[in-house]
Amino acid sequence: MSGVTRKKMSIRDIPREEAMWPGNPACQGCAGSLAGRLVFKALGRNSVRVEVASCAPGFMNIRVPSFFSPAFEGAAAFLTGLARGYKIIGREDIVVAGLIGDGGTVDIGFQGLSAAAERNENVFFFTYDNEAYMNTGGQRSGATPYLARTATTPVSRVSRGKAEEKKNMPMILALHRVPYVATASVAYPEDLVEKVTHGKGIRGFRYMQINAPCPTGWGVEPKDSIKVARLSVESGIWPLYEIEEGHFRLTYKPRELKPVTDALKLQGRFRHLSDDELGVIQERTLGEWERLVGLDGKELY
Amino acid sequence: MKSEVMVGNKAVAYAVKLARANLIAAYPITPQTTIVQYLSEFVAEGELAAEFVNVEGEITAQLACLAGSIAGARAFTATSGPGLLYMHEALHGTARYRAPIVMAVANRGVRTMGPDHSDMMAQRDTGWIQLYCENNQEVLDTGVMAYRIAEDAGVRLPVSFGLDGYVLSYTAEPVEVPGQEEVDEFLPPYKTEYPVLPETFDEDIERYKRHWAKGKSIDEPFTPLAADESFSHLTMVNWGGPHDQQWRWRSHQEAMTRAKQVIKEVDEEYGRRFGRSYGGLVDEYRCEDADAALVAMGTVASTARAAVDRLRRDGKRVGLVKLRSFRPFPREEFRRIGADVDALCVLDRSISLGDEGGIVYNSVRSALYGLDERPTVMGVHLGMAGKEVRVRDIERIGERALAERGGAEPPVRWV
Repeated sequence: MSGVTRKKMSIRDIPREEAMWPGNPACQGCAGSLAGRLVFKALGRNSVRVEVASCAPGFMNIRVPSFFSPAFEGAAAFLTGLARGYKIIGREDIVVAGLIGDGGTVDIGFQGLSAAAERNENVFFFTYDNEAYMNTGGQRSGATPYLARTATTPVSRVSRGKAEEKKNMPMILALHRVPYVATASVAYPEDLVEKVTHGKGIRGFRYMQINAPCPTGWGVEPKDSIKVARLSVESGIWPLYEIEEGHFRLTYKPRELKPVTDALKLQGRFRHLSDDELGVIQERTLGEWERLVGLDGKELY
Repeated sequence: MKSEVMVGNKAVAYAVKLARANLIAAYPITPQTTIVQYLSEFVAEGELAAEFVNVEGEITAQLACLAGSIAGARAFTATSGPGLLYMHEALHGTARYRAPIVMAVANRGVRTMGPDHSDMMAQRDTGWIQLYCENNQEVLDTGVMAYRIAEDAGVRLPVSFGLDGYVLSYTAEPVEVPGQEEVDEFLPPYKTEYPVLPETFDEDIERYKRHWAKGKSIDEPFTPLAADESFSHLTMVNWGGPHDQQWRWRSHQEAMTRAKQVIKEVDEEYGRRFGRSYGGLVDEYRCEDADAALVAMGTVASTARAAVDRLRRDGKRVGLVKLRSFRPFPREEFRRIGADVDALCVLDRSISLGDEGGIVYNSVRSALYGLDERPTVMGVHLGMAGKEVRVRDIERIGERALAERGGAEPPVRWV
C-alpha cells in the first residue's frame, strides 16, 4: 500500500528450506525453473500449485501438491476451483498458486484469467515469461517481443521476426483492478522473493510476471541466462514494478539505463537486427521507461 | 414431502439444493439458463450454503467444479448443446480425476436450438455416466440419486443427467419434493475420502513410491493425486518406476461396470425411502408378453408409452424399454429382453453421420450379437432438432415392428 514501508530484503532473507527435490530435467540455464524455485521458497510449503501445458512439467519437482490442469486454457479456472474448494473445507490458509507459461497466460489462458481477475478469486497467478512456446520448440506467443525470431516468426528476405509488440499483460490485469500485480526477474531474487512474500499476505487476485530467459529458445549461452535477465532490467526492457490497489511503484530504478543492445546482443533471436531496428527498439524502450517513471508513486486508476 | 407445479429446470435446482451441493459453477445457455437462476436465488436467499461461481464460459465451469471437487467440494454444473461441446475437453479431465461431479444437461441439438440428444451423445466416450429423464419428477429424483452414484466408493465417476430442452426444461408439471431430512439420510453431506493437503504431501509421495515399487496396481488406492500427471511423473519418472498410463482406462472401465449395479441399488433404495423408483438402468413397460419392444430415451419414452397403450388396446403386443442409463450401457438387460421379443425397434434422437443407424441403435444391436435367437433390430431417426414426435408416428412404428418381426433387418427409417 502507498506510504507503507516494507523491509528491504537481502539475499540472506530468502528462506533456506528448499522448495524442490533434486532431479530437475529442465534445460541447462533454465530461468523458468529458477523462478519456480524462488516463488515456492517464498510461498512456503502450505501451498498447492497448478500448472498447464508448458515447460513447467519439466520442473514439477516442487515440493507441494501440484495439479496439471487437463486443459491448456484452464489455469485460472482450476485455480478458482481449488481456492473455492479449500474455502469450503475450511482451509483458506492454503495458498493456491499457479506457475504458468506465457502462452497459457496471454494467449490460450487469457479468457479464463481475465474472468478470474474480474471475480477477484483468492489465488496467486505466476507467469514465468520465456516469451514463446518454448516447450513445443519455440513458437511465437503474444508475449514474444518485437522483432524476435521464433520458430513461427522466421527471419527471411520478407520477414524480420515478430512484427508486433509484446502484449502488456501486467497492465491489462492491473486495469482489472485486482489487489496486486508485479513484475520480477530471476536476476533480482531479493526483489522477487520480497514481492511474493508481500503478495502472499494479500487476499484476492494476485499476479506476477517473471522474466525468465530461455537459453534454448533465445539462443543464449546457458551461463548467460541470469546475465541477460539482469541486462534486460538494467536497460529498461524489463522494468521491475508493482501495482498495489492501483498504486504504481518502480521497485528498482537503475541510475542510468544501459543500452538495449547490451542485452540483445547476447541473444541469438535478435542477431539479425540492423542498427536501424536496434534504434527503434531502443527508442520504444526508453519511451516506455519514461512513461513508467512518470507513473512512479502515482495512482494508475 | 410437498408437491409443487414446476418446470424441469426448477426440478434440477431443487435436486441440487436437496443434495446440498456446495460448489456451483455454471454459464448461462438456453435452455439451461433458469437452472442457474433458481440456484443463484437459493444461494442468495441463504437456502443453500454454496460457493457460487459465475464463470465466463463452460470450460471454466467444468474445471472449477473439477478442482473444487478435488479440494473436497460437492460440485454441480449445468449446460446445454453448444455449451456442452465447449466443455468437452474438460469433461475428459474430470473423468480422468474420477471426480464425482454431477451435471445436468438440458438437452439441445448442436446445429439448431431445438431439443435432441446430440449434445450428450457427442460426450459418449468421455467416461461420464449418462442418465436420461422422462419427466420432471424423474429429473428431481435422478438429480439426488446422481450424487449417491457418483460418490459411491466403488464408482467415483462424474454423472451427467439429461432432460429434454424446452419439453421438460421449460414445461411445468406437478413434482413431489422430498423433505430435506429424508434426503440428508439418503445422501449425507460430502466428505472426500482422499483429501489433497500440503501437510500430507511428503507422506503421500512416499506411500505411493513404496506401493508402486512393490509392483502393486497403480490405481489402488485411487486418489486424485494418483490421477494427476505431475504426481505420476514425480513418483514414477523421477524415481525410475514404470510409466504405464493405460491403467487409467482399465480402472475407469471397471468402475463403469460396477456402476451398473450401483445405479440399480441406489434406485431401489430411493424407491424404498421415497416411494418412486425407475427400474435402474432400464424401465420396462408392458414388455412381459410383448412380441415387439420399442426402445426410447427421455421424453420420447413418454410419447411411446401412450403409443404402446393404444397398440395394446387394439390387441397388438408391443412394449417399451425406456433406456435410463446410456453409459454404462445395460448390455445384459438388452440380451435378456432381446431373447424374449421378436423385434426391438430403437428410436434415436441422435445420429452418427456416416454410419447406418442411430447411436443407441448401434449399441443395442451390438449388445445382442451372439444371442442364439436374435430379434430383428430396427432403427428409426426421429425428433432431431426438436422435430415433433406424435403418438401416432410411434404407433405406426410399432405396427411396422410387429409386421416385420422375425424377418431381415429393414433399412433405418426417418420419421
